[in-house]
Amino acid sequence: MDKETSDGADWETWHSSFINETFANLRRLTAIPFLPDKMEQVRKGVTPREVVYEEDRLKVYRYIGDVEPTIKTPLCLVFALVNRPYIMDLKEGRSIIAQYVKAGFDTYLIDWGTPTKAERFLTTDDYVNGYILNVVNYVRERTGADKVNLLGYCMGGTLSTMFTAMHQDLVKNLVLLATGIDYSTRESLLNLWTDPRYFDVDKFVDTVGNIPAEFLQSAFLLLKPVSNLVEKYINLAENVHRDEFVDDYLHMETWLNDNIPVPGEVYHEFAKYLFQQNLLVRNRMPLGRHIVDLRKITCPLLNLMASSDHLVPCSQTEPLNDLVSSTDKDKIIWPAGHIGLAVSAKAQKELWPRAVDWLVQRSD
Amino acid sequence: MTDNTGKIFDQVAVFQKLWMDSFTEMAGVWSQFSAGSPPVDEMRKMRGGMLKVLAETWDEYMRTPQFLEMMKASLNGALDLKRMAREGMNRVHEQFENPSKQDIDDVLLAVRHVERRLLERLEGLDDRVANVTEKIDDLDDRVAKQESAIERLEQTIRTKVQKPAAGSRKETGA
Repeated sequence: MDKETSDGADWETWHSSFINETFANLRRLTAIPFLPDKMEQVRKGVTPREVVYEEDRLKVYRYIGDVEPTIKTPLCLVFALVNRPYIMDLKEGRSIIAQYVKAGFDTYLIDWGTPTKAERFLTTDDYVNGYILNVVNYVRERTGADKVNLLGYCMGGTLSTMFTAMHQDLVKNLVLLATGIDYSTRESLLNLWTDPRYFDVDKFVDTVGNIPAEFLQSAFLLLKPVSNLVEKYINLAENVHRDEFVDDYLHMETWLNDNIPVPGEVYHEFAKYLFQQNLLVRNRMPLGRHIVDLRKITCPLLNLMASSDHLVPCSQTEPLNDLVSSTDKDKIIWPAGHIGLAVSAKAQKELWPRAVDWLVQRSD
Repeated sequence: MTDNTGKIFDQVAVFQKLWMDSFTEMAGVWSQFSAGSPPVDEMRKMRGGMLKVLAETWDEYMRTPQFLEMMKASLNGALDLKRMAREGMNRVHEQFENPSKQDIDDVLLAVRHVERRLLERLEGLDDRVANVTEKIDDLDDRVAKQESAIERLEQTIRTKVQKPAAGSRKETGA
């Protein structure tokens, strides 16, 4: 008797489950023809901005808020050289820049542009002591501030750290997101793959020149092959009828596939001096004729990292707080991935208001 | 030859192990299938479990020395091929007296070297100017100090001179 009841219940569950899934599949199918339209609606950045400075391929955007900036110390954002920087202003409700602009910061973002073969021999020194220094000086002159706040993301964080160590007198506060500092860890596959036993960086850069965007893109995809090549598309197929999911997905995919080549010499220096020799934490990183000494950083530091970051794990970021001379230093380990740290709904709602508040308290 | 064959066998063995482990663990995931729950949810759970197993085994595989050796060999092969093609093209360009990519790279590098040397000289000059400015500031400070010392001295002398003068007037008046 019990068995019959149980079988009957099972049958009902199975039956309703199949019916529900059939209708869900119909909804999914009907949503597919609208995908190209939605793809066209994807915008690269949402906050109004103006180009205020240009140098070679580089452009600096100033973001325009509803009201004039109320905080005297301007904020300058430095992004990595491997992707486009609009991830920091991805879409409505997913924008780090919008949060800072709303808080009253005069906000500037460096867009490195796409390097051509002419930029093949640009070095890290050119970026740190050339471009970033010029931009910071321009922003100081424009705003009348003595110092700027620097916010660096990923490789842009490493560049910002080097810049602060070289020009501490120009930086008021340093905020870093998922920034690689200590490359001795083998937690990340990238660190393992660039091991000198398996990767001849001299031969590679000599042969290819600028590192092609496709090469970088495939390396990033291979870091999580199942997630990037299988799971992601299954998730899209299952949620194609949910507008918000599709909108997030399309914005993210547009950005992820918008890679740019990296100047050969910069890649060479990063791979050799950081990934292979780990010179930054030893205060021996050469930058032109200078050496980067992290102990020269004395300004307040906020180090943000993601606990599930497969690209720059926490173990690679966390040591910075012990290497600088700053007395006012904080770190936040957030439960997200490398990109989620910047744009996930939870991070936007809970982490970024905290990060913005941290900077407000320390700015004039 | 034997060494190479050994390496290939090692690589095949590791690859085989990857799939064997994946299938074994995926079978383990299916053992958790519960017929009492809605089948669609169960299937999703099974799929999630299988993908998790696959992700873990692939991550493990991509950390093996065999995979890293294979990656190194294939990358080196591709680079050698590219170099060979470029050298061939360079020769063709040379025959036709056209500039090749190599020539352009050499020119770029030469420009960079000149730029680097100039920048270093400029930075050196910048440092020297900063030094000179510092020294001038020091001198200014010293001059200012000496001037104020002289002024103080002058003041003291004047006071001393005025006092006896006043004293002598008093005496004369008396």
